Amino acid sequence: MAPAQQDTSSTQQQPAAVEEAATTTTTKKPVLPEEELSEEDQKLKDELELLVERLNEPNQQVELYGKYLDALKTFIKESTTSMTAVPKPLKFLRPHYPSLTDLYTQWSSETYSATEEIVVKLADILSVLAMTYSDDGKRESLKYRLLSQKESLPDWGHEYMRHLALEIGEAYQEYLGSADDEVEKLVKLSLQIVPFFLKHNAEADAVDLLLEIESIDKLPQFVDDNTFARVCLYMVSCVPLLAPPDDVSFLNTAFAIYLAHGQLTQALTLAIKLDDEELIKQVFNSTNDELIHKQLGFILSQQNNSFKYPGENPEVQETISNVKLAEYFKYLIKELNLLEPKVPEDIYKSHLENTKFGLGTSGSIDSAKQNLAAAFVNSFLNLGFGNDKLIQTSDDNKSWIYRTKGSGMSSTTASLGSIHQWDINEGLQVLDKYTYSDDPEIKAGALLGTGIVSSNVHDEVEAAFALLQEYVTDPNKLYQTSAINGLGIAFAGSANEEVLNLLLPLVSDLEISLEISCLAALALGHVFVGTCHGDITSTILQTLLERDFTQLTNKFIKFMALGLGLLYMGKTEQVEDVLETIDAIEHPISKTLKVLVNICAYAGTGNVLQIQALLQMCTAKPKEQAEEEKKLEQSEEDQQKEEEEAKKEHADTTGDVEMEDASEVKPETEAKAEVKDEDVTAEEDEDAEEQEELYQGIAVLGLACIAMGEDIGQDMSLRHFGHLMHYGNSLIKRAVPLAMGLVSVSNPQMKVFETLSRYSHDADLEVAQNAIYSMGLVGAGTNNARLAQLLRQLASYYIKSPESLFMVRIAQGILHLGKGTLTLTPFNSERTIISKVSLASLLTIAMALLDPREFILNDSSTETTHQLLYYLTPAIKPRMLITVDENLNPLKVNVRVGQAVDVVGQAGKPKTITGWVTQSTPVLLNYGERAELENTDEWISLSHSLDGIVILKKNPEYMEVDN
Amino acid sequence: MGQGPSGMPGDNLNKRKDDKKKEKPKYEPPVESKFGKKRRKGPDTAVKLPSVYPNTRCKLKLLKLERIKDHLLLEEEFVTNQEAFQPTEARQAEEREKVDELRGYPMAVGTLEEIIDDDHAIVSSTASSEFYVSIMSFVDKGLLEPGCSVLLHHKTVAVVGVLQDDADPMVSVMKLDKSPTESYADIGGLESQIQEIKESVELPLTHPELYEEMGIKPPKGVILYGAPGTGKTLLAKAVANQTSATFLRIVGSELIQKYLGDGPRLCRQIFQIAAEHAPSIVFIDEIDAIGTKRYESTSGGEREIQRTMLELLNQLDGFDDRGDIKVIMATNKIESLDPALIRPGRIDRKILFENPDANTKRKILNIHTSKMSLADDVNLDELVSAKDELSGADIKAICTEAGLLALRERRMQVKADDFRQAKERVLKNKVEENLEGLYL
Repeated sequence: MAPAQQDTSSTQQQPAAVEEAATTTTTKKPVLPEEELSEEDQKLKDELELLVERLNEPNQQVELYGKYLDALKTFIKESTTSMTAVPKPLKFLRPHYPSLTDLYTQWSSETYSATEEIVVKLADILSVLAMTYSDDGKRESLKYRLLSQKESLPDWGHEYMRHLALEIGEAYQEYLGSADDEVEKLVKLSLQIVPFFLKHNAEADAVDLLLEIESIDKLPQFVDDNTFARVCLYMVSCVPLLAPPDDVSFLNTAFAIYLAHGQLTQALTLAIKLDDEELIKQVFNSTNDELIHKQLGFILSQQNNSFKYPGENPEVQETISNVKLAEYFKYLIKELNLLEPKVPEDIYKSHLENTKFGLGTSGSIDSAKQNLAAAFVNSFLNLGFGNDKLIQTSDDNKSWIYRTKGSGMSSTTASLGSIHQWDINEGLQVLDKYTYSDDPEIKAGALLGTGIVSSNVHDEVEAAFALLQEYVTDPNKLYQTSAINGLGIAFAGSANEEVLNLLLPLVSDLEISLEISCLAALALGHVFVGTCHGDITSTILQTLLERDFTQLTNKFIKFMALGLGLLYMGKTEQVEDVLETIDAIEHPISKTLKVLVNICAYAGTGNVLQIQALLQMCTAKPKEQAEEEKKLEQSEEDQQKEEEEAKKEHADTTGDVEMEDASEVKPETEAKAEVKDEDVTAEEDEDAEEQEELYQGIAVLGLACIAMGEDIGQDMSLRHFGHLMHYGNSLIKRAVPLAMGLVSVSNPQMKVFETLSRYSHDADLEVAQNAIYSMGLVGAGTNNARLAQLLRQLASYYIKSPESLFMVRIAQGILHLGKGTLTLTPFNSERTIISKVSLASLLTIAMALLDPREFILNDSSTETTHQLLYYLTPAIKPRMLITVDENLNPLKVNVRVGQAVDVVGQAGKPKTITGWVTQSTPVLLNYGERAELENTDEWISLSHSLDGIVILKKNPEYMEVDN
Repeated sequence: MGQGPSGMPGDNLNKRKDDKKKEKPKYEPPVESKFGKKRRKGPDTAVKLPSVYPNTRCKLKLLKLERIKDHLLLEEEFVTNQEAFQPTEARQAEEREKVDELRGYPMAVGTLEEIIDDDHAIVSSTASSEFYVSIMSFVDKGLLEPGCSVLLHHKTVAVVGVLQDDADPMVSVMKLDKSPTESYADIGGLESQIQEIKESVELPLTHPELYEEMGIKPPKGVILYGAPGTGKTLLAKAVANQTSATFLRIVGSELIQKYLGDGPRLCRQIFQIAAEHAPSIVFIDEIDAIGTKRYESTSGGEREIQRTMLELLNQLDGFDDRGDIKVIMATNKIESLDPALIRPGRIDRKILFENPDANTKRKILNIHTSKMSLADDVNLDELVSAKDELSGADIKAICTEAGLLALRERRMQVKADDFRQAKERVLKNKVEENLEGLYL
């Protein structure tokens, strides 16, 4: 075939020559193609022409025709193609195509029957020729292929198959619904083509073809051990971009393939993605190996799934419920040599701050607010480490708790729970003595801490439930809210029925304060996240209907709405019924509710239609309208003030009643609260107006929730945010930084935090504060040095603004979460599955921060304020890789850790990681990093991806090689 | 401007906040400005579209591209809607007017010598000595860096703007605006060379997915080498004629500059321009001018040339990925080139141009004579069948010579005899050249 290679090149100049002749109008003689032909080409051409001529001669023997056709076929098949040119025989036969088609009609209709061998052969050849000849839209290739019915498809090579696939796709769309038998034929033909594609490394083509003809479910029978991995990888990466119902059928097919090929861990991730308990059960049932069950349990545990292990072994259930998480985390920090507790100043590094403004460094300020910030930072920093230098001092009286005041003491005490995160026994012991404290704040803090410490860890005892149970109905509001929040945090995602029975009456009780109801609804939302629980839904909706109209403008009401939304997390279309019910509520809140439920339902899907709807919501009202409102407001300001006064009085009386209930509240704080109250009411008239716009802010958060599901949406959403920041009203602007943080949690990209850093100097302090929080969120648990530096600058910039400084501290704390061993990202298993629990937590804080002064930055001692920050707890998880042996004891092996590479659709066996470093487990995995076993001969990993806790098995065939 | 707060001034939405601010007067130290960080990639990366993998032809790629398109449509919808409510352009024009007013007229051009603090700097103008002046707040401080040209107010000499000049005007000259008329059809023979250059230069730019499917990286560049007059430059011209990519052509000697460091800088700029206009093809003719083997040299000029080559080496296969830039080099002394320059990875394909064989010679002759008016007695075959070592250029010379001879005799046709004479003359010249080589 060597000469052919050379020949093709000479033909290349022909198109160019023709073009030249056509375009240039110089006097040059047009070079005729015939002249250019080399001798060999000429010979080939002559031979082909001869064959065609012979074929066209009538009245010959059938065998002769057969011979000619065979010869023709050989010619076509033997030509090698260059990348740049059409195969020669095809080109030479082009002029004869019409005559051959005529011949075919003649033969098939007159001379021979359509099934005669030579007729079939002719159709076969015509089908190939049509590839180069037929005009667009005629699909003659396919026509003759269907006429020929010959099983010689693969003979013609890859390019032909692709062409055929293209025509099948087109034809299918056309025939669909009109000609069923045609469709059937097409499907049959496709099923012949698919195995060819799969065999020749073109799994993408195979999947695409099946997608076109809507029969992806037929794929599993064709894949084998060599191809399934690539096929599934391709399919899974298509999923976020496909429109329903194709995405579900893709996932189901991939699931079936993984299951059939024994890739249980991968099948499990897909089952989780499909959110189908039955499928998860199926994965467990497909093997009896308890070791694999345990590995599956470890994967499930990252999701904080409420799944109940169907088997007998209690150890497996333990893995699912994270019982040993504290143990493994302690092992991790011991190995990484991080045992030494840090104090907040270690990360403030105020000595590095620029003191050119002559105000001293930010670390030197001592106030209750900053001390509270320090307590939060301390708890974030030493989260799960079990020791710290600030709160657990040898001398109890010197503990940091007493350097904060009011509700700050609650939060500070509760931070003990964080420090002992996951370690229920020790944590409860430490907290125990505070539950006997005379100080109601400290006791409330201890209750909250009890909830925090057992977050994500569920043993059979459920100590947190037992301890908090009695306080849920306690007359002291402080205890009550703490207990409710504690339960919400502790049982997030567990779908625990007992919690339901305890909290549901609180939601529906119209007598108790709205705050309690809302918090109970929020807690229930967390506990039953993504379950579509009917009772809770109806109760919340009922309460919203029954509650007084004025109460629905309360700031806490959005948490009740959020509680409802969380129930439908990730449920996509199942929300339709609820949305209809919400319409029944006539209050403006119904709009907020709808948006919330919608964004939760489509969280992580990347659904473009939803994004469009949300963007439309954010489109500003016409300016005139807004201005008119403004004018009205201003002219009636005096009037309004009076009204407000009246309203305030009303509000105050209700508030007082509550306070009287809370008999133990100190008079000072009460007084202080009243002062504060005035502030609040002064701002209330804004709030009433903002309530209507609240849905816009939520819509912005929703953009982030929905877009975070796939990479392209994630990138593109940043552009949307830029526009929103440019055009949006103040509430939208406040939400944009939060959304930016939400979309790239624990993923410090330069472009994101540079933008955030710009927003952090915004004229609107609330925008700035949210931007600061988001900077922390973006770098959560990464110790990112650039971010740390930016935050330090902010600390000195906002040195005179205690609220902003508080936020800077929180951001610094989050940035150094667990000294950089933890993460907040809602994604698990190499970013393939989204954890509803984590997302719910992140969303809760974001909701609270839509109005930072009302919640997180509030100093009120009667309401739940910064305690809400602890709702982050369920989202926190170690970003570790720990390898364990078959007895679940930690094992040290070497792994390579490197940047993950997207290998979808790449040829061959590309490396899945790049720029790796070899380390010995346990190791920390950064965002977008992947680990690989170094010695795959010696160890077999039971999980397909190395993250979290992975069980390794010794390869029985491994032989130690002595060098 | 770049560092300013993003809040929109004069919006009534902010009124409330203004009230609040009155309650709480707050010391606000100015935002720290960042100087000299040329954010060539700053805001651009934020608005850059995500890159799409895989490169193979597949539904996944289509879906991803469609998703990007969807998002862009959404953006468009949002922006047009918002623009209808609150037009930015009018406001921008207003602001620009204000800025123009502040800038004054005329402005002087000066050089920024040093930045003292956030709003002061030392500038020097061409006319007089240096001034300590203030920097106007609306100047993009990210673009300011010592040594850059700035606009100065005519009275106060305050910095009112930055002039951005990046690329040397020399480089823009190298960009080819008018493509040459030579096409592949004007090349006689050289089939395999054409194929090779097509595969390694044109195809990667037009069909990158073919390489991806195969799992190989497309070649970065080719070097054309061979005896003089065998059509190296001609082929490059044909490539330029055929391609729709940006075609930059330079001669090796152009990279040798008078001042130290100018050569490497030019080299860098060429590739920078190429990257900006990617996909592009850079053609460096007579690469041996700078690409000779390195050796110990005391001459500063010599060393500078070598440094230029080192820069070229780095540009060809350096640390950062150059993207869609293909390099074609041409030389007739490949053996004298530095081995580092032509190693695979920098130059993946070496294409040899040989003197044409009899068949090719005839083709070349056909091309050259196709526009000449020939007498009937001319037998082209006879001309080239002989075993003379003729290059493509020689054949062209013969044709021209024959034409000239015909002209001398005021004939309208070229006769066979003219060709015979012309050939003798050309061959004689060739021999003389050779002899010269022998005796000197």
